[in-house]
Amino acid sequence: MPAVNVPKPTLMEKVKRFFMVDLLKGLRLTLKYNVGAITDKDAVAGHGIYTEQYPKVRPDVAPRFHGAPRLNMDPETHDTLCIACNLCALACPEDCIDVIAMDIEITVAGKARRKKVLDEFIFDTSRCMFCALCQEACPTACLELTQDFELATYSRAGFVWNREMLEQGRETVKYTK
Amino acid sequence: MLHTFALFAPPNFIDNLLLKFFSADTVNYVVWPFIQIGAVVTAVAVYALYATYAERKISAFMQARLGPMRVGPWGLLQPFADALKLLTKEDLTPDKADIYTFKFAPYISVAAAFIVFAVIPFGPDWGVITDVNIGLLFVLSISSVGVLALILAGWSSNSKYALMGALRSSAQMVSYEVSMGLSIIGALMFARTLSLSGIVSAQQSDAVWFMFYQPLGLLTFLVSGIAENNRAPFDLPEAESELVAGFHTEYSGMRWSLFFMAEYAAMVVVSAIATTLYLGGWYFPFVYRFTEAQGHHALYVIISLIVFLAKLTFLLYLYFWLRWTLPRFRYDQLMDIGWKWLIPTALVNIVLTAIAIFTVQAVDGWNGLKTIEAMSPSLNLTGTGKAIMIGFGIIGIFITAGVLSTINRRARDFNLKRQRRNIRLVNLRKGKPAVAPPATNE
Repeated sequence: MPAVNVPKPTLMEKVKRFFMVDLLKGLRLTLKYNVGAITDKDAVAGHGIYTEQYPKVRPDVAPRFHGAPRLNMDPETHDTLCIACNLCALACPEDCIDVIAMDIEITVAGKARRKKVLDEFIFDTSRCMFCALCQEACPTACLELTQDFELATYSRAGFVWNREMLEQGRETVKYTK
Repeated sequence: MLHTFALFAPPNFIDNLLLKFFSADTVNYVVWPFIQIGAVVTAVAVYALYATYAERKISAFMQARLGPMRVGPWGLLQPFADALKLLTKEDLTPDKADIYTFKFAPYISVAAAFIVFAVIPFGPDWGVITDVNIGLLFVLSISSVGVLALILAGWSSNSKYALMGALRSSAQMVSYEVSMGLSIIGALMFARTLSLSGIVSAQQSDAVWFMFYQPLGLLTFLVSGIAENNRAPFDLPEAESELVAGFHTEYSGMRWSLFFMAEYAAMVVVSAIATTLYLGGWYFPFVYRFTEAQGHHALYVIISLIVFLAKLTFLLYLYFWLRWTLPRFRYDQLMDIGWKWLIPTALVNIVLTAIAIFTVQAVDGWNGLKTIEAMSPSLNLTGTGKAIMIGFGIIGIFITAGVLSTINRRARDFNLKRQRRNIRLVNLRKGKPAVAPPATNE
């Protein structure tokens, strides 16, 4: 017969067992969480609720988070800030940016000049790794990776954003409840 | 207006209205009971529905979650959404199942749970449907019918999980029914009646809840009640990790929800009986003095109903609280607790209570302390008598603990069967425990 050496309980252990101290400790813990969930509304400190009501309440993402790209516009004239310099496309390690420029005739101080302006901007978010090197390269702070993270679409083509989408933002269903 | 045993004094304006359409006897014996039954069934069903909601919410809170939040404000309409979903769900019957038994079992289960509410006193006067003079016996016998439903469901499903679950739950319920029945007797010695209303009024006339006289009885009753309802930590019949869902593995849709409903209704039943027996039922100090004594009869009944519901809800919270705190017992531990601990506790409690009552009566007989004023149907204890009884109750816990630890001192020994085979019962040294011989190589 294998010898099982069960140590004899000490007096203290016996008293603890009699008054069911461990059971009461467990009950106290769950009660603490229950009371904390009802009273502590901001939840993070103490024993509050950790659940985020996602579609209803937007979560706070980290400041360093990079999400959906955006082409910023001049807030007064609503012209694009992009000067079609192509630096972002050159900086992109994934080669997912296409800057398509065109020349237009302008007159500067009475003389006819040609200027390169932005025609179309293609940004393939399916290949983007959100390193934000394009944002670093942009001399006019036009291209920016925002904190928006809802990028899912129903087709592969939907991942390719054109200039309009980049300037206006993509339409997503806003759930309020 | 007729005063009957079924109905004491219903609210007058409804009574007058009914008397225009029916004769007095019909009103008293048919119409009013139907109104009460309808009200109670509806109330209990809604209460059971919201018990599921409360369970989900409380379990979520205890795990730092939110629980149901989408249907209605704070998810308050979730039970109705669940009910609607279950009603419209397909009702599957497994191949080779015993169809009629399979389909009939949920109804037995839910009926056994709901019939009991006929005798439970929710309040004084019209707060009780019927006051049967063997109410407690009725409750115990009807709630054992619930076991039949589980066995039928498990057996007729033609599934090994269901059968195993049914066997487990029947074994469990049968063994815990013994300790449940025995634990009640202590309180009955004080109440001296099996009528549930009578038990409440006994506590009212003593102005002491029986939980103070009978702390052990309450403890035993609650533990065996939880085990009787197959609730965690005694939920072996539906242990998810072993048996999928136990006896209702093969059930779906409405029939499954009937079992679910029956489980929660049975919890409410046990809580209600515990409330009535040990927590004073609808009785609460000073309520009578400030309402009924000043002529506000309806207010008295309604406040008593609220008191009863509050106590019931507290006990239900205890159920949820224990479920989400304690892990499940092993099967041998379950039987261990039932047969080796709870039944002896209940028996010792009966003996101690009898001794206590005898002592108090004897003291009274010697004309020493004035404790019992008269041997009326309830024990009319004086203040001293009450103090002695409460003292006996508290001391009883320690005595019982001593007795039980003596009985079970060898219960945890390793491999008891083997030891019994090997222990030599001759040449034992006096005062020393019997020792098994050194192990042979087998």
